[in-house]
Amino acid sequence: MEIYVLVKQVPDPEAMVKVKTDSELEIENKYFTNFFDEVAIEAALRLKEKFGGKVTVLTVDNRRVDALRRGISMGADDALQFSDPALEGSDPFSIAKVLATYLKDKPFDLILAGRQAMDDDAGIVGPSVAELLGIPHVNSIIGLEIEDPKKGAKVTREVEGGKETLSCPLPALFTCQKGLYTPRIPQVMNVMKAMKAQIKKVDLSAIGLTTTDVGPHSAKIKLNRYFPPPKRPPVRIIKDDFPENVKVLVKLLREEAKVI
Amino acid sequence: MSNEIWVLAEHKDGKVKKITYELLSASAQFSKKTGGQVATILLGNNLQEAVKSLMTFADKIFLIEDPALTFYTSDAYLPSIASLINEHRPSILLGGATSTGKDLFPRLAMHLRTGYVPDCTDLSMGEDGRLTAIRPIYGGKVFAEISFSEDRPQMATVRNNTFIVDQELNKSAQVISVPFQTNHSLLKKKVLGMEKVGGEKLDISEADIVVAGGRGIKSAENFKILEELADVLNASVGTTRAVVDEGWRDQKDQIGKSGKNISAKLYMAFGISGAIHHVLGIGTCKTVVAVDTDPNALIFNYADYGIVGDLFQVVPALTEEFKKVLAEGA
Repeated sequence: MEIYVLVKQVPDPEAMVKVKTDSELEIENKYFTNFFDEVAIEAALRLKEKFGGKVTVLTVDNRRVDALRRGISMGADDALQFSDPALEGSDPFSIAKVLATYLKDKPFDLILAGRQAMDDDAGIVGPSVAELLGIPHVNSIIGLEIEDPKKGAKVTREVEGGKETLSCPLPALFTCQKGLYTPRIPQVMNVMKAMKAQIKKVDLSAIGLTTTDVGPHSAKIKLNRYFPPPKRPPVRIIKDDFPENVKVLVKLLREEAKVI
Repeated sequence: MSNEIWVLAEHKDGKVKKITYELLSASAQFSKKTGGQVATILLGNNLQEAVKSLMTFADKIFLIEDPALTFYTSDAYLPSIASLINEHRPSILLGGATSTGKDLFPRLAMHLRTGYVPDCTDLSMGEDGRLTAIRPIYGGKVFAEISFSEDRPQMATVRNNTFIVDQELNKSAQVISVPFQTNHSLLKKKVLGMEKVGGEKLDISEADIVVAGGRGIKSAENFKILEELADVLNASVGTTRAVVDEGWRDQKDQIGKSGKNISAKLYMAFGISGAIHHVLGIGTCKTVVAVDTDPNALIFNYADYGIVGDLFQVVPALTEEFKKVLAEGA
């Protein structure tokens, strides 16, 4: 199977992220490969192990290629970085345009991505790429079975109060949720190899896009400002002894917070 | 282009979901500023009950019924919704930040070449009909205020419990039946089945009250005491990543960064230390209660009320106390 995986390097959940100015964030230099993307890479590698073929990881990022190296160290065959100064300030729809423009003449059976990137938490790029390529997509899958790539896939996705199983022809795009697979830990040898791997760079002109196709002026959504999350008042510890404390808590929830 | 505000209705087994009423209530407020009508799009099969319950919440109901719409798939939903939008050009299209909304809206926005802001925790409307959206990013460490380009409709998905349902809208909707035109041969995806998990309980992302247990619960069996508390409060039971990774609870109940964000009115955490992964998922809950034996547990930094104590004592006592006060009614 020919499989492409869309990946991104994002701040680790433990990293400090603070508002610096209205339009600027201070982000601690602690990055990792988006967890859901690692799940997607794992899914791709398992399919390759079953059917043969090739796994290529793609990222749209002018600075960070570590997610590509992570992909290679896990077992991906090839890696591409889309980078261009004109991409600065692009919204997810423009990122999708870049990826779909590249992929549209490629023979592929499957595109995988994470459910969302743990930075803007938007989940827009995956389904948008599928739309531009005119292929079906299923979001947030927790099960994936392919017996014969020609016959399509059986996928399970999380829905409120249950799990829904669908049949879907290939080629398709699926975004992956935790629980699909546990991403493998790459071997040290492969990590070393990935560090030295040549990352191919692709700019806008190479795929036939111009600077007006991307960037802030073509953005469909605009950031007005960042602001810190609303702060909760300090906790009120109920100091009475048990079981009096339980009675006090219930009274507070009813009479003060009015939530019961 | 019109100044109408549209809401994609969601329902389960013919029963309209609360998020739809919340969005229609907010839309009614927004429309006071711009004077446009509020419409809802309802897709499915055998929707008489849903139509009836939406009548007083919208000015118009676009109703599309077909057996192919029994379960949501983007293949079946998207062409019908897109052609309605292209015909009527509403100013705004809202949906829930649900499994359906998150699957459909990004693709629909790309299809319509318009802007979409996901997973909002607030929306406001300007006199000029421009929507401003607030959404948490970086898991809730930062909030972003976002506006839209000139493209219409302005699309957003909104978290549960962001807006309050207004039962007094007293509208009287005009029901407009729209034929389902999609060629069935174009429907690529087929829903094979739906496995219900967790019985009749609401999903943690939809519930008004969520009670959750962490590692401090010590075993899968011990969740029984939380289930009992949840039953009394009509709450859903959530949990942490550590517990899911232990295999004590299902992934769908995980709150936090790699699980779900919840916006419950009341969230109660038992035996949860308060790792950043977890607390990022509860940032928009209205009232938070924490119970843990460790007075220095981080969870207390994110709570409104706290009890330092043994959850195996506190939970059963809480269940009894809630039972008692709720029975008294008052």
